[in-house]
Amino acid sequence: MTQLRNGTAGTGRAAAPDGFRSSLARRELHSSRAAASVVAAFALAALCLYVLLEAVLQALGHPSWLLDPADFAAWLHRLPGNASPLVLGASGTLLLLAGLYFFLQGVLPGRLHRHLLPSSRGVVVVDNQVIAAALARRARAAANVGREQVLVTISRSLIQVQLRPTSGIPVSAADVQAAVEDELLRTGIDPVPPVRVRVSSSGVVGQ
Amino acid sequence: MNQTPRALNRVILAVLGLALMLLGGLAVALALFPGASGWWQRATAGAGERLGRLLAATTLPGQPVSWLWAVAAVMLLVLILLLLAWAALQGRGRVGTLAVDGDGDGTPGIVSLSAAVAEQPLKAALQERPDIVHAAVAAYEYRGVPGLHVRVLPRQGASPQAVAGEVMDLVEALDLVVGIHPPVVVSIGSGARARLVRADRVH
Repeated sequence: MTQLRNGTAGTGRAAAPDGFRSSLARRELHSSRAAASVVAAFALAALCLYVLLEAVLQALGHPSWLLDPADFAAWLHRLPGNASPLVLGASGTLLLLAGLYFFLQGVLPGRLHRHLLPSSRGVVVVDNQVIAAALARRARAAANVGREQVLVTISRSLIQVQLRPTSGIPVSAADVQAAVEDELLRTGIDPVPPVRVRVSSSGVVGQ
Repeated sequence: MNQTPRALNRVILAVLGLALMLLGGLAVALALFPGASGWWQRATAGAGERLGRLLAATTLPGQPVSWLWAVAAVMLLVLILLLLAWAALQGRGRVGTLAVDGDGDGTPGIVSLSAAVAEQPLKAALQERPDIVHAAVAAYEYRGVPGLHVRVLPRQGASPQAVAGEVMDLVEALDLVVGIHPPVVVSIGSGARARLVRADRVH
C-alpha cells in the first residue's frame, strides 16, 4: 500500500459496500486454486528450462545434451511405428488425466466445506466441522449419551445425525431432531439444510 | 482476503488442462487406431518440411545454425520469468500498515497505523477466551482497502455463532479505540489442535 494515501483513514465511514462484502464472502467460500497453480507453474517452468538449455546449445552450435531437436522431430514423425502401443497409450492416458485434473481445477466452482454466518459487521465463515461439533454436542445432551455415540455429517443439502443409544435406555429420535434443528436455527446459516436423525437399532453397552 | 489472482489461475489452469488433454488424446488415438498413423505422418511431414525451410531461410550466411534458436531461447527465458511471477502472486497481499492519515487537519506530516496495532491486541484478547483454542490475526489488502483476517479455532462443540459474536464484540471495541472501521473477515475453523483439547472445560 502506498504510504501517502488518505482514503482509508480517520473518518469512521461505513465498513464496506455490499458488493465488496459479497466478493469477500465469495473468496472465503471458494478455493483459490493456488496449490494447483503453483504446481502447474513450476512444472511448466522446469520443462521450459530444459528446452531453453537445448535451444541455447543449438544457438551456440554445440552438440545437444539429452535430445537433439532434429532427431526428436524425426522420432515424432515416425510415431506409432517406433514405440510400443502399450507405452504410447499409457503415457497418453496419463497426460489425458493430468490435463483433465487441471481443466477441472480451472472450471469447477471449488466450494469449500464452509457456511456463511449472518453478521452485523464484516464477513463470518464457519467450517462445516465446527457446526457439526456444535450440533453433535446438542444432540448428545438431548439424548443423554456419550461423545462417541453421536456422529454428525454436514453436506450442502443435508445434515445427518447418527446416534447409537446406550443399551436399555431408549432415545427419542423426535427430541433429538428438535434439539438439533433448534441449534441449527440459532447458527443462522442460510439456506437451512434438512436434518435427518438415524437412531441405530443396536445399542452400546455401559457408557 | 488476499490478492491471489483467482480468475487468472482458473483461466491458465483450464487452458493448460485443455492443451494436455489434446496431447494425451492424440497419443492415445495414435496408439489405438492404426488409421490415424497415416494422417499423422502426412501432417508431420508437411510441418517438418515447412520448419526446415524456415530454419534454412533464417540462417545467416557464414553461420552454422539459424538465428531462430537464439530468439526461441530469449522467448523461453521470458516465459519462465512469467511463470515464476505467476507462482509468486499466490497468497500475496499481506500489509504492514492498516491506515494512513495524510491530511491531519492542515498540520504537516502523516499518521500511519501499523497493522500490529490491530493484530496484537485482538489476538491476545481472543486467546484469553476459554472456548477459543487458537487465534491468528493478519492484515491483508484487498481491492486497495486494508482489512483484517481473523482465524479462530474454537474448542470442539462450541457454538459458532457465540464465537462469532465474541470476535465481533472485540472487533467493535477495536474500532472504537483506533477510530477506523477496516473490513473484517472472520474464519472459524477446526484443526488438529481443536480436536486434541478436551471438549468441555469447567470453570
